[in-house]
Order: sequence, then C-alpha cells, then structure tokens
Amino acid sequence: MSPRSSFDKALAELQQDILRMASLVEQAIYDSVQSLVKLDVAGAAQVIMGDEMIDELYLEIEDKCVKLIATQQPIARDLRVAITGIKILLSLERMADHAVDIARATMCLSGQPLTVKPLEYIPQMARLAQQMVKDGLDAYVHGDVEKAREMCALDDEVDFLFAKTFRELINIMMENSKVVMQSTYLLYVSRYLERIADHATNIGEAVIYLVTGERRELN
Amino acid sequence: MNWKLPHGITWRPVASYFFMVIIFFALLQLVAAQKLNLTGALAVALLLSVVLAWLLYRRVVAPLSEINETAREMARGRLDRELHLYSRDEIGQLANSVNEMARQLRRTINQITEEKDRARAILNSMADGVIALDRQGQVLLVNPVVEEIFNIKQEDCQGKNILGVIRNFDLELLLERALKTQQPLTREIKIIAPEPRIFRLHATPLEEADREKGGVVVLLRDVTERKKLDDMRSEFVANVSHELRTPLTSIRGFLETLLDGALDDRETARHFLEIMSAETERLTRLIDDLLDLSKIEERRVVHRWQPVDMIDVISRVLSMFRPQAREKNITLLSRLPSGLPVVQGDPDMLAQVLINLVDNALKYTPGGGQVTVSAAAADGRLEVSVADTGVGIPAESLPRIFERFYRVDKARSRELGGIGIGLAIVKHIIRAHGGKIQVESTPGRGSVFSFTLPAGEGAATLM
Repeated sequence: MSPRSSFDKALAELQQDILRMASLVEQAIYDSVQSLVKLDVAGAAQVIMGDEMIDELYLEIEDKCVKLIATQQPIARDLRVAITGIKILLSLERMADHAVDIARATMCLSGQPLTVKPLEYIPQMARLAQQMVKDGLDAYVHGDVEKAREMCALDDEVDFLFAKTFRELINIMMENSKVVMQSTYLLYVSRYLERIADHATNIGEAVIYLVTGERRELN
Repeated sequence: MNWKLPHGITWRPVASYFFMVIIFFALLQLVAAQKLNLTGALAVALLLSVVLAWLLYRRVVAPLSEINETAREMARGRLDRELHLYSRDEIGQLANSVNEMARQLRRTINQITEEKDRARAILNSMADGVIALDRQGQVLLVNPVVEEIFNIKQEDCQGKNILGVIRNFDLELLLERALKTQQPLTREIKIIAPEPRIFRLHATPLEEADREKGGVVVLLRDVTERKKLDDMRSEFVANVSHELRTPLTSIRGFLETLLDGALDDRETARHFLEIMSAETERLTRLIDDLLDLSKIEERRVVHRWQPVDMIDVISRVLSMFRPQAREKNITLLSRLPSGLPVVQGDPDMLAQVLINLVDNALKYTPGGGQVTVSAAAADGRLEVSVADTGVGIPAESLPRIFERFYRVDKARSRELGGIGIGLAIVKHIIRAHGGKIQVESTPGRGSVFSFTLPAGEGAATLM
C-alpha cells in the first residue's frame, strides 16, 4: 500500500471514529434531557455512567490524531482534517460532560415534586440544541458549509430562550423562596443546554474551516 | 463470382492492383514511344488518381466513417441505431456485424435492466427497511423505507460509512460484528430518528466466493408500535388487577373485622356492611364497564341503528346533570342551533358518550366554573363539543387519555371515583359510529372534547 493511500485510510478511519463518539454523545444528550423531563433517576444514572466510555473513546481518538500528525506530517487540507478532528472531539467531549451535568441536575430534582412550571422553554431549548448538534455533525459528514452557516440562526434562538428562562426563573425565585433550590437547578440546566448549543456551533465553525480554510465566528 | 484466395483476399483488390500496374506500364510505353510527353503522362496519372481516390472514398472511407460514427453513438448508449450499408464486400459485412452486436447488446441490457427493475421493485415494496453494506462497511444501497425513517437520500449515502448515514453506536457495532464474523444476527435496537424508535434488526452476511466482494444486508423492522401495545397490554392487566383488588381488599378487611367480633356490635356491623355494599357496587360497576368496553371494542354492539336527533339526546343528558351541577355551583350551558342534521346511530350509546364527557367535565371543574355543550353542522357532519373551565390536561398526557385505565393523576381520579375507562368507551362508541373525537386542553384553563358524527340518512352503515 502506498503511503498516500494508507494516509487516506487513516483519515477516513479518524472521521469514522469521531462519528462513533458523536453517536454516543448525541444519545447521551437525548437521554439526559429525557431523564429530566420524566424525572427518571435510572435514566440519569445511565447517562452519568455512560460518560466513562465517551471519555475513554475521546482519549483514544485524540491519541490517534496526534500520532497521525506526528508520523505523517500532513499539510494543507490533510492538516486541517487532523486539526478539526481534534477540535470536534473536544467539543463533543464537552457536550457529553454537559449531558452528565443535566443528568446530575435530574438526580437532585427528582426527590421532590416539581412546583416550578416554566419547563416549557427548557424542552424547547433542548430540542433546538439537539437539532444543532445533529446539524453540525451532518455538516461534518457531508462537508456542507451552507448547513454549518445556517446554525447561526438556531444558536440565536437558543440564546434568546436562555435569556427568557433566566428572567422567568429569577422572577419565580423572588416571589417564592421555597423554590429557590429547584429554580437554581433548572437555571443550571438551561445554561448547560445553551453551552451545548455553543459547542455545536464550534463544530460548525470547524467544518467551515475544514472545507474553506477560513475562520468564522458563528455565535 | 464468389471464389476466394486464401486469407480472405477477394478478387477486388487483386483486380484493382492489376489494373493499376497495367496503366503504369501503358503510360511507360506511351512515354517511351514519345507518344506522350512527361507532363501529359503526369496529367493522365493525376486524373486517374483522382478518379481512384474518389472511388476509394465512395466505397471505403465514407462507409467506414459512418460505421465509426455509429459505433461511437452506440458506445454512448444509443443502441437503437442501425447501419444501412448493404454492400456485399468486407465493409458490408462489418456493418452487419456491428448491427448484430448492437442487437445482441440491446437484448442483454434489456434483460439485465428488467431483472434490476424487478429487484428494485421488490426492494421498494418491502415494508421493512433494507440497507446493504459492502465489505468495508460502506453503504451500497438503502430502500425507500430507510430513506423515509431517517430522512436521508439514497444518493447521499452511497459509498459512505454507516456512521455517516445513521449515527447510532449500537447499529455500527452490530454491523461491524456481522461483517467480521460473517454470522447472521438478530437484535432489538433503539435509534433516535429524531424520536426514539425501536427496531428489530436482522443482519445477514452476503455469501460471496470472492472475499473482497461480500458484505452484509440489514433488515430493519420498526417494532415501536408493537412494543407500545405490549407495554399497554401489561399496564392494562396490572391496572385491572389493581382496580379489582382495591375494593376486594377493603371488603376482606371489613369481613375479617366482622368475624373477629365486630359482628356483635350492631352499629359498627351495619356501618361496615354499608361500606362493603358500596365496595361491592363499585366492583360490579367496574366489571360492567369492562364488559361494555370489551363488547364495544369487538364492535358488536350498535344494535339499534336508527336516526337520532342529537339535540334531543343532549337536552336529556343535560337535564340529568342539572342537580349535580347546581350542587357544585357550576353553570351548565348549552348552545344548540336549530335545524341541525339527523345522525344515524344508537341513541343510548350516543347518550352514554355525552354522559361520560359531561360527567368528566363536572368532575374536573371547580365550583364557580362553567361547562358548555354545543353542537354545529359542518360539511356533512355534526360536531358536538363539551367545553369546561376545569383543571385541564397536561400536554404530555393528551395523546394517552383515550387509553383504557390511563389517568392523568391516579390519586385524584380515584378520589373522584373514576377508574379510567370512561374516555376509552367514548372513543370506541364514536369510532363505531364512523366519527372522530379530539381533545384540546390548556392546563389550568380547561379542556374541550369535541366529536363529529357523519350526518344524514345514508350516513355510516354499520361496519
């Protein structure tokens, strides 16, 4: 096998590894949000335990990436593939951690009945954030710069919802000091979702950089 | 003249070369005898060359370039082209062979296309999703079911790794295993697309002598609905057992207390017996409801099929509930325009529908509220709705409230004496009448249940 084709094979494998990890992260985000909506402690525990595997995968793929750069010394687009690989991995790992954070919040919230009811924005934010993660990864799979750019609008929407949730929860806390605990956890959750959306835009930025070589802020 | 020299040399080239040599010698002779000077000889030679070249062009070059042109077109796929060269020389034979080749190719291609179309049609008409992967785990094809479930396009996924098409960890793991072990496997997996769906996955390795060529074919059967039904069934059994046991436990408890001596105290005994009687009644009612439901579910019941004036039914039901509404301080209103069409059905069953709906509305509306029953005609259908200003139904419960034994809040509904079966009966009666029921609700504001029935004399003959 010529060095070039073995290198191409390594790059294809790298993308596959990243997508494998991405599938786990997407699942973790989905499960954590579901565990919150249903206040399902068992589901939350599963998300928290599953993170170990994601972390392991992360280190393993990152090592592969580093080895690839060290041994093949890629240039131009090949180098960008390796570098964006590391960037996307990092974003994915952070998102998985936020999923764990949401699952932890679920565990804290599960003891008592939910008296605070502004939960309508949170599922909406969760839906948007999940859509963004999916869009970012789809853009990565297809090298679709247009799709990556379109994520901007979704991120704005998430930020807007976050601001709204924030105000509403603050109001609720000021009115009723008994629900401060609950409201704070919910506030955290909305913050985590907002961060997940931000990391999704990072993936979009990485895709744009990968395809065009230009850097662009999406959020 | 059909005789041939060996090696396919025919008389034509021999004759033409012979002719040329003769002319050459004749010209040499003429020049030698000084009958013709050099210029004249050259002129004659030129003239003859032009004639020969023209002949060559007509007989050889033009047909050859036509054949060439046609062959090129055929290569581009236009196999319906035919050459019309009927000369009996080599060129004519060549043209014939080309035509024959095109015909042969056309036949073979038609055959292959037909087979391919048939395979594609079978693949397309399958109710299960099909994904074929090659040895490297790259997608060869997906059928329309897969395209629809995962919202992808065949063109976009060809040659991609499965993870680039359906991002699911377990799916990739299973396919990898099937490719590696070359053993068929069957599993149930959950894929979020984008709602979670449960699939029964069946992966079969493709047997191929050439190890490079093999691959794996994956069948995905969506079993989400069946799983849901299974869950509902077990929930139903659990619910029924629970509902039957609750009054029974209570009856047994009081019975034991009576046997243990309470029987001697007339006053207590009487009180206990009253409770037991009420519980027995509850048990009877539960079993009656269950029987009703199962009869309606089996669609055997609409005995008395007749024209029904819904206004009449509604007024009857409302007058039944008036005292109860007054007691709870709820305003019971009706909005019934005149001239509504007549519907076909069983008046008692339709009354049962209204009874269940109005009863629910009164139960879940706090004092001072309002329950409104209205009817209207809407293109060939009669629409009846029961609106309340009660507690409402949370959005996540809305899709489930017509299920048997589903209750939004178990504790509260038991307190109110419900067993979670009323709306299931309503749904089945409406369905048996060829109608539809729907519900809208805002928690804290109230709910609106509305159903439509086909109107007119000829409406809905039974099933």
